[in-house]
Amino acid sequence: MMLTSCPHEKEVRQLIARGQWSAASPPALRAHVTGCRTCGDLVLVSEAFQQARVESAAAARPVPPALLLWRAQLRRRNAAMERITRPLLGAQIFACAVVVFAALGFAGFEARSGVDWFTWNFWRDWFVELPQAAASQWASLSAGPLTGSAWSWLVLGSALATLLLLGGAAVYFATDKQ
Amino acid sequence: MPWEFTLPNALLHTSPGGALEAAAGACDPAMENEAFAAFYSRSSRPLWAYLARSSSDPALADDLMQESYVRFLCAAGAPSLAADGEAAARLYLFRIASNLLRDYWRRPRAASIEEIPEEFFAAHGHAAQTDTQILLEPALRQMKPRERQLLWLAHAEGYSHREIAQVMGLSAASIRLLLFRARRKIAALLRASAAPEMLGRKS
Repeated sequence: MMLTSCPHEKEVRQLIARGQWSAASPPALRAHVTGCRTCGDLVLVSEAFQQARVESAAAARPVPPALLLWRAQLRRRNAAMERITRPLLGAQIFACAVVVFAALGFAGFEARSGVDWFTWNFWRDWFVELPQAAASQWASLSAGPLTGSAWSWLVLGSALATLLLLGGAAVYFATDKQ
Repeated sequence: MPWEFTLPNALLHTSPGGALEAAAGACDPAMENEAFAAFYSRSSRPLWAYLARSSSDPALADDLMQESYVRFLCAAGAPSLAADGEAAARLYLFRIASNLLRDYWRRPRAASIEEIPEEFFAAHGHAAQTDTQILLEPALRQMKPRERQLLWLAHAEGYSHREIAQVMGLSAASIRLLLFRARRKIAALLRASAAPEMLGRKS
């Protein structure tokens, strides 16, 4: 399709935009529009669309603006909340990963030293002996100098707790800055 | 940065407050309400008309209009009503609405007849139709969605080629040709549908 333009198109367009077509248009221009396809199309389509715009605008039922303001504010708040809690979530995930990694390492270390974690007998004995072992550990801790086994548990627990705390804080600050 | 995190420039202001309030931009609500309400009262009906005629679905136009305003309020790059003027803000709003329409058309749909509300059929009934609806609506239905948008923006809203290019995300040079073709096509359809109408009235 050839893009043909008419020298009167601009004038016709301006009259339509001002709402002066066809009352305020010169007779020569009206006669031109009758014979010119480009200008004829322009007038026909513009009049149809402007009439449709008036009718459609009258049919609109806009909601109160306060409702939209409220929805927008709610959305911004949710987004801000998400933005604030995202680093915390990252820190939690990191802490969980460290715990799992440490637990697996500990299990591997114990397995190497001869403890079979994956047998029913081990866990049955562990549950049966746990209260007695805890009582004896507590007695040894409160009684006097710590034994080698108690020290190792205490050091391991403290190191793990420190690592989790510092790791979580580091991840939190890194994500927050970003 | 996601658009939800900052207020549009139209409503941007600073005031002391908590971290959450600052991040959400919720301050000076009276000013915000007044400026927005005035803008909304002048732009909501033309925007609804654009959406309803482009989509041929008044219920969808209701939804998309609300979403357009909410996105406008949350957008970081929205023009300022005070600095850029209402015309720029309105153009930006039409751009959001056009993007939402495009997203809607791209989305795969699978709606059963039971899910469609009664109002949809009532709005498409032929009981009390005006001349424009009788002539223009069938012609618009035969046009492509993009052609409907182009024609509406040019002939109902009176936007220039450059402004239409901004709204549609196309180049101004291509708008001229696309609009010319669309106008010629719909003019032919309007003439074709007007001819039997005129014959019917004569007889």
